[in-house]
Amino acid sequence: MLGIEDPKIWIAYILCFLSAIGCIIYGVLNWNKGQDEEVC
Amino acid sequence: MAVSTPILGIAVVIYMMVVFYLGWLGYKQTKDTDDYMLAGRKINPLVLALSYGAAFISTSAIIGFGGYAGAFGMGVLWLVFMNIFVGIFIAFVLFGSRTRRMGVNLGAVTFPELVGRRFQSRFIQGFSGALITIFMPLYAGSVLIGGARFMETALNIEYNSAVLILAVIVAAYVITGGLIAVMYTDALQGGLMFIGMAILFVLTYARLGGVVEAHQSLTNMAHLVPENLAAIGHTGWTSMPAFGSPVWWTLFSTIILGVGIGVLAQPQLAVRFMTVRNTRSLNRAVLSGGPFILMMAGVAYIVGALSNVYFLDTRGMISLEAAGGNIDVIMPEYINSAMPDYFVIFFLLTLLAAAMSTLSSQFHTMGTAIGHDFYREFIMRGKIGKTITITRAGIATTILISVVLAYILPIGIIARATAIFFGLCAAAFLPMYTGALFWKRMNRQGATASLLVGTFASLFWLTFVHAKEATALGISQALFGVDTILTGTWTVVDPILVATPLAFLTAIIVSLATEPDSQEHLEKCYSRKNSE
Repeated sequence: MLGIEDPKIWIAYILCFLSAIGCIIYGVLNWNKGQDEEVC
Repeated sequence: MAVSTPILGIAVVIYMMVVFYLGWLGYKQTKDTDDYMLAGRKINPLVLALSYGAAFISTSAIIGFGGYAGAFGMGVLWLVFMNIFVGIFIAFVLFGSRTRRMGVNLGAVTFPELVGRRFQSRFIQGFSGALITIFMPLYAGSVLIGGARFMETALNIEYNSAVLILAVIVAAYVITGGLIAVMYTDALQGGLMFIGMAILFVLTYARLGGVVEAHQSLTNMAHLVPENLAAIGHTGWTSMPAFGSPVWWTLFSTIILGVGIGVLAQPQLAVRFMTVRNTRSLNRAVLSGGPFILMMAGVAYIVGALSNVYFLDTRGMISLEAAGGNIDVIMPEYINSAMPDYFVIFFLLTLLAAAMSTLSSQFHTMGTAIGHDFYREFIMRGKIGKTITITRAGIATTILISVVLAYILPIGIIARATAIFFGLCAAAFLPMYTGALFWKRMNRQGATASLLVGTFASLFWLTFVHAKEATALGISQALFGVDTILTGTWTVVDPILVATPLAFLTAIIVSLATEPDSQEHLEKCYSRKNSE
């Protein structure tokens, strides 16, 4: 996979990108949430 | 160095002017304690994300850990995953929203004050402040050294003057502009770092013939691992170290767990959650925070490991050899020889920005810890009125200590400073902070006990057992005539694996064995109704 034989490395490589993409998706989905319940 | 000093000098001057402008903006906008300590609790989500990331990732993360990847390979990518998943996602979504809400409910302006007020204890606030005041200068000193070394080589400034110049510049905008200035300049520096690392990422893969090709070439180099490294567990640059070997333990316990989890309890990062208006800002910050860390840490480690392919192609040797055996030289050596000149200039600015953004947040946190938490609240019992003035004096004092440390500390200890500080924070603060946010049953006695057990267990392990620090400190040698009092695998197990679970256990047992906090106080802490 991706020129890396050890799955413990390519899984980490892919997880890095997936977790960053996950952060983007979370940010988009929750873009307007959390405003009303708590105003400082 | 291939880059002409005048061009770099001009770039640095322009950069410094923008930094000073942002510092001045911070000064103009600072009107009260909340502004100075917490940027008025109304920071923009993108500024929060960039500032959090830029403070988190210092020059040593890029140069030091990038070099580590160059020497030991891509196993350190697990740290990147932890940095994004734990350091951004868990931190912002789980810890961030609760920290922000409790901070508002309790009127806390610093991390020690938040836990101190949650557990109604001036001792907790004062002790945490003292811990930060004593140990953060070690970490700040090492970042200062990194930044000054950069100025020394790139701008031809003598090292001792470089330390002083860097400290004075950062001090100027931190002291006058408070956290608003710190976060604005951090965001600018974070932006520069993002662009610099993105270019490095693309150019490196392009230089080595593509993603799969570059990785394949690196995989094929496994037989070139030097014998002395193979003997301690190094199996190649695209495979994990041998399970249970010294290299594996360091990677797993110190780097992946120590830094990966330790980040949650970093006071200079946790305080940032209290700077935003609402949970929505934290949700939005996750969007840019994840990719930012990927671009910083991920790129540094991938490029660091791949530098081996470049040096094999061009010089017929591995990175560690090309760097003369010094891990910290791998990244600079690679960038200087493999990258175009214009990029080298830009990257040097990136590194200066990385050092300055981490330094400024450290100075601010140390200053508030000594001025506000330790002196004003603990020693003076909250009796003096002018928090900002005392904090400014505190910042000046801690900067002075950091500068002195940068001059006098031996190289061996400085190199361990980041790890020491992260480990200590994880053991001393993480159980108490987690309990404060998530476990209503946790009380003052449990928090105090866990703070003390975490601190002293961690310090004991560092001084007497964990070989890297114990040997460098030399206290065990002086007292007992041996480098470490335990032998074998124990000496490579990081304090975080011992002290943090111990502190968690203490917190649970002591809390359950004593009376719970009053319902009234808990309702105040966890209230969701607090609005302006």
